[in-house]
Amino acid sequence: MSGGSMDAGGWRRQRALLEYALGTFRRRGRRNLSMIVGLTFVVALYASVLLLTESLRHEWRATLDATPDLVVQRMVAGRPALIDADETFGVTDEPGVREIAPRVWGYLFVEAIGGNVTVVASQDAETRWASSLASGRNLRPAGEVPEALVGEALADRLGVRAGDRLAIPDAAGELRVLEIAGVFDHDSAMHSADVLVTTLAVARTLLAVPEAQATDIALTLARSEEAPAVARRVREALPGARVIERSALVRTYELTFDGRAGLLAVVLLPCLAAFLLLCWDRLTGLGEMERREIGILKAIGWETRDVLTARLWESATIAVGGVWIGYLLAYGYVYLLGAPGLAGALFGWSALHPTLELTPAARLEHLASLAGLVVLPFLGVSLIPAWRAATLDPDEAMR
Amino acid sequence: MNPPPLAIETREVAKRYFDGSTRVWAVAGVSLQIPAASFYVLLGPSGSGKTTLLGLLGGLVTPTRGDVILLGRSVVHMRDHHRARWRRRHVGFVFQDLALIPRMSLLENVLLPLAPLGGATSEDVARAEALLDRFGLGAKGGVSSERLSGGERQRGALARALILEPEILLLDEPTAHVDADNADRIVEHLGALRDEGRTVVASTHDPRLADDPRIDRVLCLEHGQRSGSDEAE
Repeated sequence: MSGGSMDAGGWRRQRALLEYALGTFRRRGRRNLSMIVGLTFVVALYASVLLLTESLRHEWRATLDATPDLVVQRMVAGRPALIDADETFGVTDEPGVREIAPRVWGYLFVEAIGGNVTVVASQDAETRWASSLASGRNLRPAGEVPEALVGEALADRLGVRAGDRLAIPDAAGELRVLEIAGVFDHDSAMHSADVLVTTLAVARTLLAVPEAQATDIALTLARSEEAPAVARRVREALPGARVIERSALVRTYELTFDGRAGLLAVVLLPCLAAFLLLCWDRLTGLGEMERREIGILKAIGWETRDVLTARLWESATIAVGGVWIGYLLAYGYVYLLGAPGLAGALFGWSALHPTLELTPAARLEHLASLAGLVVLPFLGVSLIPAWRAATLDPDEAMR
Repeated sequence: MNPPPLAIETREVAKRYFDGSTRVWAVAGVSLQIPAASFYVLLGPSGSGKTTLLGLLGGLVTPTRGDVILLGRSVVHMRDHHRARWRRRHVGFVFQDLALIPRMSLLENVLLPLAPLGGATSEDVARAEALLDRFGLGAKGGVSSERLSGGERQRGALARALILEPEILLLDEPTAHVDADNADRIVEHLGALRDEGRTVVASTHDPRLADDPRIDRVLCLEHGQRSGSDEAE
């Protein structure tokens, strides 16, 4: 008869009870299948929100990685205006200020794609974009034909490859021909989807930014903690200037996307609650056959804990199956299909990036979150009725 | 000569149920003593409390009052899990409706009591197959329980009750759903189990079974009480 050491016996007991639990899929296949389908649906909905949110976080983190500590914009009539390129705000002598760089960038509407392209003048084309080139080569400072680098997603939208030429309207509407020197694959889909990088001179021409002026001034600090003090100095030197701190951007993005994701999650809570109520209803009704089965098990010598362990394995199998299938469906829905219907609720800037393809950003924490919100409540609602039947006299449970 | 040790003893054991707001005493104070290695029958009409009394004897039903002593130990005051273990080790039960779990093979049903003990070893499987052979079910081990005939299910349930080799075997109406030939085979098997040293208690409403010479004693029940017309061989 069964024997052996306690540990080995414990494992063997668990395996035997698991085998019994898996057998219930043969005996109560339809009920268990309906549970898996319901769980899959709820998990797929919730995981879609998690994946979308995570991808958006990934996007703004990648964007912020390349964002300077401070950006200064001159304001005219409450709107950003061009700023003198040699403006230093009197902070050049500050030991914490590593670099003050005028930036030239702006938007051009391209009718062919029905959206804006962000034109960025690269002053460090050799280093910053070179590392992420997927095809082609870097910009040459003074080629015969003005050159540009575009993101992979934008290249797809424009239908161009490295080596092709592209006619793009400048700020005055006049078509300018650019040679696509290379195509970059950026960490962030937001960059890859709409950024066109070109030389400073070409950017000035395209955006109509005069030689001595810039779109804004970027300040890079030795220590980002000094940003508030430097920002104060800048405001004193240029009253009315808008000084954007990177930490403020972080907070804004977090509030925006976390808030939207939170709102969606709250909207989904009734779905989850409805599913759990349905489970409760199905399981408290413990079909006559199932209740009787528990009575039989008790009568032939199973203890309450054996019955509950078997039920736990059964429910855990349903839950794990539902969570994995739901999560995989959500992954496909978000990253292969682009989350139709759901993306609009989260993408505040979708008009700018109609073809944004999100970077997959699955995390283990998602599974932990799903375990807390879906699996544990599901196990709870499945165990309680079984416990109630298992603590009855076997005779009573079998009636 | 010393009397044989008692396998089962009850002292004024009673069980009350509520039928709506009405109290029903299914068993109303029964005292009995059943020696080890004997074959007893509880005889009574339908509703006389036989099934409830068997449940009390097997620890499947908690009495409203009184005591049930199996192999010298009171099972009434045992904690639930102790009673379950005790039952597993010492008592085999065959229910009136046999209580085989559907969509499980007969062999799986027979091995089911072993799951909490770590599942069936190859020796356990061999023992289960030997039991099925003994009861004429050697070829039926892989058949789903609901596809078996009444007699086959009856004997299959008997095999399951014996898989852990209990000293006490309780059977509720073991011949109710089988023809005369099968009933005779079952009584034959029960007599043989008694001869091996097990204590066998079967309930029945069929007076013909009570007349069987292989039975040691018949205890009569009526309205939840001993009727006083017990018969001894």
